[in-house]
Amino acid sequence: MFLSLDFRRAMLALVAGVTLGSGLGCKKSNSPPADPTKPVFDDFAKRVDAYMKLRKQVVDTVGELDPTRSQTEITARASRLAAAIINARPQAKPGDIFTPEVATLIATLIKQEYSRRSEPVQETREDQQDELPDFAPKVNELYPTTYPLATFPAKLLPLLPPLPDALEYRVVQRYLVLRDVEANVIIDYMPNAVPL
Amino acid sequence: MKSLFGIIGIVATCTTTTLSAQEILLPRKDGSVRFLVFGDAGTGGREQYQVANQMLRYSQRFPFTFAIMLGDNIYGSERPQDFDKKFTQPYRALLDGKIEFNAALGNHDDPNQRYFKPFNMGGNRYRTFKKGNVRFFVIDSNYLDPEQVKWLEKELSASQSEWKIAYFHHPLYTTARRGPEVELRAVLEPLFVKYGVDVVFTGHEHIYERFNPQLGIYYFTVGGAAKLRRGDTHPSSLLAARFDRDRSFLLAEIAGDSLYFQTISRLGAIVDKGVIARREVRPPATAVTTGSSSTAPKAP
Repeated sequence: MFLSLDFRRAMLALVAGVTLGSGLGCKKSNSPPADPTKPVFDDFAKRVDAYMKLRKQVVDTVGELDPTRSQTEITARASRLAAAIINARPQAKPGDIFTPEVATLIATLIKQEYSRRSEPVQETREDQQDELPDFAPKVNELYPTTYPLATFPAKLLPLLPPLPDALEYRVVQRYLVLRDVEANVIIDYMPNAVPL
Repeated sequence: MKSLFGIIGIVATCTTTTLSAQEILLPRKDGSVRFLVFGDAGTGGREQYQVANQMLRYSQRFPFTFAIMLGDNIYGSERPQDFDKKFTQPYRALLDGKIEFNAALGNHDDPNQRYFKPFNMGGNRYRTFKKGNVRFFVIDSNYLDPEQVKWLEKELSASQSEWKIAYFHHPLYTTARRGPEVELRAVLEPLFVKYGVDVVFTGHEHIYERFNPQLGIYYFTVGGAAKLRRGDTHPSSLLAARFDRDRSFLLAEIAGDSLYFQTISRLGAIVDKGVIARREVRPPATAVTTGSSSTAPKAP
């Protein structure tokens, strides 16, 4: 997975600036980790990896998709994949991947980035509000196809933990959504991630 | 050729030129690269079909071999019957004529469109392909992740093609209501400048615009092949031409160091035309053609 320089820098900035919530940095130890955010992001990466392992098993049964002239085939395969993913993780719930610890860090990263926005960037993002889908995401549900996929702020994306190609972040109102691209399934989300 | 096009020879117009039907102002030189440019087409509505018919008429006088689609290829639901109504049917004659469509993804497009073979994306959200002496870079501007940026820089730096053309959905420059994507511009423009991109085509805004070269690059907005935001272009010293009174598409021909273009309305009128010289054979570009600080690209 490509770890961007911007993400590494953002992590370092967090180390300097974030007050971690309970459960992080609260362990009484004589030798605390130099970077208290690292275990949190490592844990996030492990959870993403675990999802990808499960996903691979599902794809092995559903089959890979190659370019085809048949939109019927594409649609059917996406539906099969979505159903199989949902069935494979029936207990999935918000916070399984965006744990409270990583959610705190990511929300801080986003807040910091938003606070640094230049005026033109702020204007662009305000204009993009028109396009933002207006629904409350739910884990293991499809991202509603009636909405366009809101463009992800290009300068924010490199600051977030990297994802494999099969997954992507999307902003839905103030939620940060983790979406399986080919299956169009909402894998997890975090509320109040994006400042007003 | 070099001296002929050393000075950029743009014949610009904001007004509709009434010419006989399907008048071709492109040179149709032997061995040239000829293509169709359009965006924001996939409504399945009457206007999309009318524009498609106009494309077909022009293709008979100006035989292009491929098309580039600037995103929002399919609006709304993406069931198999939608692909039929919003793509296959309107462009059936062009498809039957072996015109190769090369799509970029828009914000209304399911990324799974990359698997739809007639869009020629090869299963990729972003890609590059070559036609003659022209290298095209197809970017997914909906989700410009670091891996894509890294890929783009690698491909741009490796390209030895005489012409480099990038296309994607969101405009880096526009006068339309939603405004330019300054965040994308901050990431993409330095790469385009560094590696000598000549021309950028985008859609998203349902109008036509052509900008004076910005940092040496020509930007076109060609997002009105079905939807229209009437009156949504605005006067700007950055603009060389604009058209927002009807739907439109663009025809392009690259021959040697020159790119000839002709923009056509739904009803067949020519709304813009001109010729652009390749960057390497143009005089060194100034940042903004007007030289006015108020028109300089905004720093993101």
